[in-house]
Amino acid sequence: MTIEKPERKYTPEISAKEIQELRKTIRSSSEKVIADNIARMKKADPKRPYSMLYFDEIADLFGKRQQEIEAEKAKGKKVIGYTCLFAPTELILAADAIPVRVNSGWFDAAKLGDRVVPVEVCPVLRSTIGAKMIELSPFLEQSDALISILTCDGMTKFGDIMSDYKPVWRMSVPRIKDESHSMRFWYDEIKLIKNQIEKFTGNKITKGKLKEAILETQRATRAFRRLQELRKGSPVITGRDAMLVNQTYLWDDKKRWTEKVEALCKELENRAQRHDWVCPPDTPRVMLTGTPMFWPDSWKLPNLVEEANPKGIIVADELCSGERILNDPVGVDEWTIDDMLNAIGQRHLMASTCPCFTSEDGNQDRLNWLLNKIKENNVQGVIYYVIRGCILYAMEYTRIKKALDKINIPVYYLDTEYTREDVGQMKTRVEAFLEMLSVQVDI
Amino acid sequence: MDLGTQKVKAVVLKDNMVVGRGQAYSGFDPTSAAKAAVNASLKQANAQLTDVACFVATGSSMELAPYAKSTVSMMGADAKAATYRFPKARTIIDVGAEEARAVKCDERGVMTDFVVNERCAAGAGTFIEAMARALEVKLEEMGPLSLKAERASQINASCVIFGESDVVSLIHRQEPKAEIARAIFDAMADRISSMVHRLGVNPEVILVGGVAKDPGFVSSLNRKLSVKVLVPEYPDFNGALGAALTAVNRCKGGQK
Repeated sequence: MTIEKPERKYTPEISAKEIQELRKTIRSSSEKVIADNIARMKKADPKRPYSMLYFDEIADLFGKRQQEIEAEKAKGKKVIGYTCLFAPTELILAADAIPVRVNSGWFDAAKLGDRVVPVEVCPVLRSTIGAKMIELSPFLEQSDALISILTCDGMTKFGDIMSDYKPVWRMSVPRIKDESHSMRFWYDEIKLIKNQIEKFTGNKITKGKLKEAILETQRATRAFRRLQELRKGSPVITGRDAMLVNQTYLWDDKKRWTEKVEALCKELENRAQRHDWVCPPDTPRVMLTGTPMFWPDSWKLPNLVEEANPKGIIVADELCSGERILNDPVGVDEWTIDDMLNAIGQRHLMASTCPCFTSEDGNQDRLNWLLNKIKENNVQGVIYYVIRGCILYAMEYTRIKKALDKINIPVYYLDTEYTREDVGQMKTRVEAFLEMLSVQVDI
Repeated sequence: MDLGTQKVKAVVLKDNMVVGRGQAYSGFDPTSAAKAAVNASLKQANAQLTDVACFVATGSSMELAPYAKSTVSMMGADAKAATYRFPKARTIIDVGAEEARAVKCDERGVMTDFVVNERCAAGAGTFIEAMARALEVKLEEMGPLSLKAERASQINASCVIFGESDVVSLIHRQEPKAEIARAIFDAMADRISSMVHRLGVNPEVILVGGVAKDPGFVSSLNRKLSVKVLVPEYPDFNGALGAALTAVNRCKGGQK
């Protein structure tokens, strides 16, 4: 009897040989990009904190963390991938499974995704599809199932394409979050996904387990906020280092990550006391907002900002690949299952500033986030980063621009693609923007 | 020095007055081209290299500039030079060979905002060049030719490549060349005016860059923006002038 291979609905068949060759080429170029990014970050801060070495290690996508997860899987643990911060990772942790975010930051893989979807589609998704086709992404490969969140149009269809490869669980998001039935709807989605996770892992999410998972996330949030606090004053850490720390949370072991961030903060607090700044305190302070910037290739813009002439320092962001990961804690009143699930739902939905939301007053939450961070972190200019295909961020621009004009904060709309070819042009623009922020000196 | 994609331009300032201009094609060696442009400008100024107190470079290849120890962004240079000539300038539109941009500035000539065309040549000078080739018309005749037209043909200049095939089919349909030429400038002006509108059209509006020398484009842009744009003498030297004015400031500040 022959076993029939399930028919793929979307993705083309690629020969094993081609998969292997493409993976080898793209992986080796990615290893170079990772090493290059880290070398540049080290160069940017000659007295870089010792604790950063740990995060450099975790940033190696094909290194230590991949092997650890592999070992856990061998012992029977399940890995559950997710595409968006709305995924209730606390539930995954409570079921003794490993949560990993699987969005791809590889430029080269996007070209492969073009075989399945047209180039108009957002490159984060094209690249993730491409990465799956050639089995490039360790964490996507290790995922036993995927939680796909239906936020933008691209994300909605992305899950369909991934179902060619893995079980995909979809979570539908109410796009008006402040109506009374929205939270009820989302709460039901949370309950359904909880059952799904329990069934799949065979582990019951008990009250005790869930409480422990929430406490663990709260500890991570505290460590994270301690780091963000340090970015408010004169710079003691480069924006890139802080962004890398934030992003490694998406695939690292949560408990260990928290300990390492605490250690890093201690080093940085000492540094602040010594007034040992990472760059002159009058360096223009920049905030990034817009489409997520996934490690490693999307370090393109952060590298440019902090290596430009004149230089800038990234002191804040409003990115779902950055500060949004842990900014908001899970607030629990009573440690009952219902209350905990509700709190998880609140944190993942209500706190989000994703442009997929609207309300009577548009996406006011995002604007508030920007205005608060600009004030708290003394931001002098905002770079509004949009990769082609991200309609939601592109369409919110004019509103944000008008609001920031009112408080005299320059904002620059930078549109780009998953490509290295436009670095020269981007550099010209970024440098002109930074010159504008620091021009007063020249008059 | 303004090291542009097509030409390097150089301006010499003495007592804040322009005393020399020079230019050279960038070619494959912008550094040598810049030296040639500087030499030509110094010759006109009747001066030596050693007489120059301070060099500042701008333009897309500014990092390859000889002599200069510092640079200024193209947008910063645009604002500075335009307000030097027109003190009431608040919006500067710069259309070069490969790039178009718009800069907003304050009364001190300091840029406060800018936009750049989105990585496409259809809004820049090379577009006119390609279209002139398709029409078999000399580049400098394109403008005067277009001004003869009462109306414009329909073209969809979404990009240089498709624009060219559009033009070819119009020629096949035997549309008058003047009307096609006008359509080309209109299409370009359309793209640039929407870019400027994103920034806000604050008078006075100044048009600079090599393309500002083309009367056909100026007329189309005036119509699309519904304002009369001001074009300085030597609009293609605006960037170099901005760099030279920056050099004057830096010189005063003791920087070399």
